[in-house]
Amino acid sequence: MSAVIDNMDKIFNLSLVYATFRSASPIIFAALCAAITQQANILNVGTEGIMLVGAFTAVAVSYFSGSWIIGVGAAMLAGAVIAMIIGVGHVKYKADNCAIGMGINMLALAITKFLLNVIFGTNGSFTSPDIDPIPRVHIGFLENIPVLGTLLNDWSLMEWFVIVLIIVLQFLFYKTVWGLRLRAVGQFEEAAKTAGIKVNAVKYQAIFIAGLIGGLAGAHLSLGYSTQFTENMTNNRGFMGVAAMYFGGANPVLTSLGCLLFGFADSVGSRLQAYGIPSQFVLMMPYIVTVVVLSISMAVKLSMNKKRQSSLT
Amino acid sequence: MSEYVVEMRDIVKTFGEVQAVKHGEFTLKKGEIHSLIGENGAGKSTMMKLLYGMYPIDSGEIIVKGEKMGVLDPKIAINHGIGMVHQEFMLVNELTVLENIILGFEPKKGFTIDFDQARKEVQRYIDEYDMEVQLDKKISQISVGEAQRVEIIKTLMRGADVIILDEPTAVLTPQEAKRLFEILNNLKEGGKSLVFISHKLNEVMEISDRISVMRQGNYMGTVEKAETSPLDLTKRMIGREVFLDIDKSYGKAGDTILEVKDIWVPSGKETSKIRGMSLSVREGEIVGIAGIDGNGQSELIEAITGLRHVEKGSVIINGKDVTNLSPRKVRAAGLAHIPEDRNRMGLNRSLSIVDNLIAVRLDEPPFTKGKLLNKKDQDSYAEEMVKQFDIRPTDYNLPTSALSGGNAQKVVVAREVSMKKKLLVASQPTRGVDIGAIELIRNTLEKAKKEGAGVLLVSAELEEIISLSDRIIVIHEGKITGEMLASEANENNLGLLMMGGEQKRKESEAAV
Repeated sequence: MSAVIDNMDKIFNLSLVYATFRSASPIIFAALCAAITQQANILNVGTEGIMLVGAFTAVAVSYFSGSWIIGVGAAMLAGAVIAMIIGVGHVKYKADNCAIGMGINMLALAITKFLLNVIFGTNGSFTSPDIDPIPRVHIGFLENIPVLGTLLNDWSLMEWFVIVLIIVLQFLFYKTVWGLRLRAVGQFEEAAKTAGIKVNAVKYQAIFIAGLIGGLAGAHLSLGYSTQFTENMTNNRGFMGVAAMYFGGANPVLTSLGCLLFGFADSVGSRLQAYGIPSQFVLMMPYIVTVVVLSISMAVKLSMNKKRQSSLT
Repeated sequence: MSEYVVEMRDIVKTFGEVQAVKHGEFTLKKGEIHSLIGENGAGKSTMMKLLYGMYPIDSGEIIVKGEKMGVLDPKIAINHGIGMVHQEFMLVNELTVLENIILGFEPKKGFTIDFDQARKEVQRYIDEYDMEVQLDKKISQISVGEAQRVEIIKTLMRGADVIILDEPTAVLTPQEAKRLFEILNNLKEGGKSLVFISHKLNEVMEISDRISVMRQGNYMGTVEKAETSPLDLTKRMIGREVFLDIDKSYGKAGDTILEVKDIWVPSGKETSKIRGMSLSVREGEIVGIAGIDGNGQSELIEAITGLRHVEKGSVIINGKDVTNLSPRKVRAAGLAHIPEDRNRMGLNRSLSIVDNLIAVRLDEPPFTKGKLLNKKDQDSYAEEMVKQFDIRPTDYNLPTSALSGGNAQKVVVAREVSMKKKLLVASQPTRGVDIGAIELIRNTLEKAKKEGAGVLLVSAELEEIISLSDRIIVIHEGKITGEMLASEANENNLGLLMMGGEQKRKESEAAV
């Protein structure tokens, strides 16, 4: 413990800001994937599975094509295909979200493991210099500026893109016709139906777009965040995304703020590891944060609700 | 071209086993207000939902402005100028009034919604037909009357010239209803054709040009208003005369059985929060609670019956303080409760009639022997109840989901009344039930009172409150605005208090 206290300045320094954002970025993608379907009142339990399939597809296609762009595109399509399985099951056949979502997650785990073995003849993980990673953005003139250089230089392209995506979705949900219809479908389906809105079409669109973004989340994880595919490499980031989505009420900006908390826990954790804190404890951190964040957000919601409803105020 | 803007011929519609419309006919002339009347379950709402394309018809034909319609859906209906104001408003609570109005027909500016343009268009209708609404409030923040105007503006924005209103006055005060009728007349003068669905004959006689009657899914004919009377319409609606006037007894009220002392109760809606309410009910009297829906009636009942937390004050039943006790303990103190929503609170819809009949005293002999259910005594009890309360069908092993609204409600009433508790709380006991069941339920309440129970009655039907109660308490926004003897009450003075008006001081209060 004393080692931790002695090295406080090394754990909590400027680079922690970027480290937090970097760790949060895959979770933000996942949370946005969950937020889109949530706006249509569909809980996307399958986020984890969509993401995992995206991650595998990205690595495989990048490896064979030698192009990260094709890899990312393929990952998005694969994500959309998986999402549409959920979509058809839920919208057309009225399957329960949780059941079909968990089914997809297990399927994703198994099928990526299987394909890893069949295509690459390996178990556990696959990496190769032939995998073309998503490039980093080097901004030359920032190099010599002290604070900004540390903060902003050499981000992965996807890390910039996720910020764009948050803004785009915020705009899409609250300023566009499609967003208004999406929210109406999610909040009161019958009202949307009587307004002549094709409710199921809107739901399919939402699920499809969620699939594209979920695939992108996976691609970022395997081609940007790292350059490899590992079995179960999403490691519950999809679920953390769903938790953050709850925290932010499916609002893209608030949801992303929730993800930063996870990123913060993750990066502080990995730094602590260097100073003698047991690795098991460190690995536990994001999950503890998930539980704590969800509990706090629910407790706050409840107490605010109670206060709002009180007759005494 | 024919003189009708809408013609519906030989309509048949079946839902599963139930033939909702067996033979439906309906015509609408341009610029008229045409009422469609019938008991609950007569098929009037279904007919209009078919016209609006909510469901496809099984057979028959629908002709709109001379054009025969194929398979309809709401979008097609809207494009042909048909608009519908549903009984349950189709408004998204968390969206603003303006967003709700333009939903589905949003004016665009590039990628975004052109809210300025929308505002301008909506304002035109507000001015033209004199319907004030607050465009930037969320639906959850406005009154029912205003929400209804939002619904009407919605149909106009979508270009409707045929507007269907499904029981629009059910949720309004007499004053608000009068306001609605002014708007409807404005619309009619503006050349719109209106369908007015109702089962309130006085309203129908006031607003209509023509009246069509349906009974049990069948078309029973159309009459000009000038050529009919409420009595004639009643006979067409139910095939016989009914006697809803209760032979009210005036016994002597006994000891206080329910006492509510200055209670404060939370609610999700600002106008429904109870802020300091006191009242009492004595044995052998019916106390009616009058008020516009959503002014704290449900919260008051839930606070008394242990279903909602009381923040301040106390509830005393039969001398026992039951404030914030569990519903089971409150019942044990002497409460029977006919809840306002039979489907959500009154019944387990997937369980059988007999199971529902004994649900609140499963653990009492003779229904149980030790820890086991005693099926034989349950059956004989159910048989008796089915006979006594005329529950149809009589097979008490059917799930209650198979029953019509009236018969389902009879199951609830039978269960609660037959326990002969000292306090009977009846919330909207005749809401959405047919006229035969209304008759039976009202007589049952009167009988319970005669046998010495204290009855607290909440109803949206003023006529029901006046005809059953001995005393009437009027509430508005969670406070009592007045109290009077039923003999002094009428729609006008109650309506005024329901709007939050002051009560003139009268000797009646001393008498109470």
